[in-house]
Amino acid sequence: MKRSALILVLGAVLGLSAYCGLYFAATASRRTLLDNETPELAWLKKEFDLSDGEFARVVQLHESYRADCAALCRRIDDKNDELKELLSKTDRLTPEIEAKLTEAGQLRVQCQKNMLRHFLEVSRSMPPEQGKRYLAWVQEKTFLPEHRMHETH
Amino acid sequence: MSGLELAHGRSNRGALPNVKMNDPIESNEPLGRALREWKVAPSLPPRFQEEVWRRIGWAEVHRASFWWSDIRHGIEVSFRRPALAVSYVAALLLIGLGLGMAQGRHASARMDETLETRYLHSIDPYLAPRPDR
Repeated sequence: MKRSALILVLGAVLGLSAYCGLYFAATASRRTLLDNETPELAWLKKEFDLSDGEFARVVQLHESYRADCAALCRRIDDKNDELKELLSKTDRLTPEIEAKLTEAGQLRVQCQKNMLRHFLEVSRSMPPEQGKRYLAWVQEKTFLPEHRMHETH
Repeated sequence: MSGLELAHGRSNRGALPNVKMNDPIESNEPLGRALREWKVAPSLPPRFQEEVWRRIGWAEVHRASFWWSDIRHGIEVSFRRPALAVSYVAALLLIGLGLGMAQGRHASARMDETLETRYLHSIDPYLAPRPDR
């Protein structure tokens, strides 16, 4: 019985070790990305096969864009608050409300323009083929509003 | 005299004069009467009922161990053949490798999706979850 038990345990241990080994090997690169300070950018580097120089440029663009984007978002939020206040005071479409809607709309257009400009800059910082792929992917996922609106109607 | 003795005609007291052993029972009145009057009163061994319940209890308790000893015996017999033992180890190894690879790929794909979503949220304020203001 001792020999049988030994074979049983050996099989189980080998099977378990093989499972754990392959699982950790297969997820090692992703776990390294997740441990990164900015995992989403580390993922971008890996996904679009960027060199260190290209990646450094992309990070710089990203940080600059994020700062501008946050400032614009605050302005849009402020505009929305103003619009909300106007709407709470009346039940009609007043010229002030129309003006505020236009201003808020302009800010949103500005936001989208900034986004597109950023995407183009990032794609130009990548190798041509990867840049093309990045642009197609990011526009599909974010910039084409018809895509999402069509899904909801 | 027992019914059996009557039927076989082996009584020590001698056969009944009117009993004809080769006649059918319906037409053999003394044999029929003897059979009708025959009462069997078997006596059970002492503590019979208690013994039955004891055995039932023992079987209930040991049923699992019978099952387990059958399996153990089967394993021992199987593993006496080196080919089967090697096959068992190899099968577990392959299953472990296959499952590890499949699960690892699945987990990697999930992590990729998470990171992709994080990147998209970082560049598109319309996608990013916004804190309550």
